[in-house]
Amino acid sequence: MKVETPIYEIRSLTHLYAGKPVLDINHLRISDSSIVGIVGPNGSGKSTLLRLLGLIERPSSGEIYFNGRPAKPFSNDSRLHITMLPQDPILMKRSVSGNVSFGLKLRGNRDDLEGRVNQALEMVGLDAGQAGEDFSMRPWYALSGGEVQRVALAARLAPRPKVLLLDEPTANVDAVSAQMIKEAAIKARKEWGTTLIIASHDWQWLHEICDNILHMFRGKVFGSGRENIIFGPWRKFEDGAWGKMLADNQRIRVPEPPDKASAAIIDVFSVSEDESNRGRDIICLSGTVLHLSLDKGTGHVFVTLAVGIHTFTISMTDQQIQAQGIYPGKSLRIHYSPDRIKWV
Amino acid sequence: MDFLLEGFFQALHLLFTGNDETYSAIMATLKVSSCSMGCSLIMGIPLGFCLGYFDFKRKKIVRIIVDTLMAFPTVFIGLLVYALLTNRGPLGDMGLLFTLPGIAIGQTILALPIVIGLSATAVEAMDKRLQMAIMSLGADRGQMFLSCLWECRHGILAGAVAAYGRVMTEVGISMMVGGNIKWHTRTITTAIALETNKGEFAMGVALGLVLLAIAFCVNLSISFLRRRA
Repeated sequence: MKVETPIYEIRSLTHLYAGKPVLDINHLRISDSSIVGIVGPNGSGKSTLLRLLGLIERPSSGEIYFNGRPAKPFSNDSRLHITMLPQDPILMKRSVSGNVSFGLKLRGNRDDLEGRVNQALEMVGLDAGQAGEDFSMRPWYALSGGEVQRVALAARLAPRPKVLLLDEPTANVDAVSAQMIKEAAIKARKEWGTTLIIASHDWQWLHEICDNILHMFRGKVFGSGRENIIFGPWRKFEDGAWGKMLADNQRIRVPEPPDKASAAIIDVFSVSEDESNRGRDIICLSGTVLHLSLDKGTGHVFVTLAVGIHTFTISMTDQQIQAQGIYPGKSLRIHYSPDRIKWV
Repeated sequence: MDFLLEGFFQALHLLFTGNDETYSAIMATLKVSSCSMGCSLIMGIPLGFCLGYFDFKRKKIVRIIVDTLMAFPTVFIGLLVYALLTNRGPLGDMGLLFTLPGIAIGQTILALPIVIGLSATAVEAMDKRLQMAIMSLGADRGQMFLSCLWECRHGILAGAVAAYGRVMTEVGISMMVGGNIKWHTRTITTAIALETNKGEFAMGVALGLVLLAIAFCVNLSISFLRRRA
């Protein structure tokens, strides 16, 4: 049986900033033409991982393989196949057209430059000749923040890359621009088989589109990204129990954490409307359904609830959803067992 | 004050009737300054880019030395170049003393630190995200350096224009190394000094007007480039 070569493989990778470890990944494989989401709190190492995958930086130790070959910054085997949209992209001091065609020119691809530029701009919803003016000839300083983000994405799409890395692509733009960016990324995957690796806080979007979701915390990759992770600090209450007090006087109870700043992975196993006692070791918390979203992998539905300032998600079948009449805004109780909590 | 007004009208006459002596000084100035600027740009832009772009040991000391050399007195450069090019000097055999190439060497020494310093400043002022943006689009090392250089072009050009203004208006090097020889090494500034000493204000004012016009063009260019940048 032929073993498929992953587009990326990471082995024993660590990365340090000023001597401090920020990334520590033992082994990670990313399949070709897949969509991979990366979720995690600020400072968890998402952007660093993307920079390493984008060959912008060299890891402190370990190897990154691209298409089965070791990949390093500026290596000819890989750099022409990868583009990355940074979190806060800037445009070069050129026209829109100059910016979008830059990647094509770097690759010596000058055939039908104008057509490729216009196609990339159309993909991000920027018509080259919009509003009676030639948008592609606009200078870099005459664009709004959303337009800068979309032009920057168009520049990454124009070379039709094998891999497109997106770092918080919709964080600083309005809803319309965000939608255009999402559609353009999906279109790249659909039309050219581009592998998408997306770091985002837009949990719902990632669950809708991703084949695989990686959760990051303190530089480590773990889980499937579908876990409920509650970050510290944790405190010890007067009765000796550990937990976190919510604004509505509910308490998230946990066993004693390894350290006060650890993150708890909480497995919510059921939801109910009533306050029935599920057992001495089962914790119930009241919350409100925020939204329902489709789990692309299993066909199940993710029900996301707000409990205080935290959100919890549980995967349910559509029959369960119908049976319990779950809809956004409905009050429900979640159930979890403290004994099954894992620490990161 | 009448002599100034009279000199002004005579200056216009000299300029518009194509006075040979006046145009000889103008041409000598343009030739020597263009040559020295060409040399200082070829050497100074790469050196300035490296100074601004790379971090290396003792970078701060190098930067302080370059900044100090930006204020190098022209008469002192003139003295050093004279000492090098005189018959007793190490480059005396080349016969460059009292020639336009000799002045060009001195003016290159004058302009070089300015080009290096202002290029380095322009590169240092470059948005740090730019390098990542260029790499994230698939550039190799050479393409990245060239693209960064192109992005700093307005700042580097403004530095070059400032150096050109300094070279055009210096008098110490031209006087000491060139010798102010009529029809040969007499530049605008040395001619002004000589004509003023002789009491020939018309010629001095005419040449001064040319220098002013050039200075105006230089400043207009800087203003335009700053606005663009």
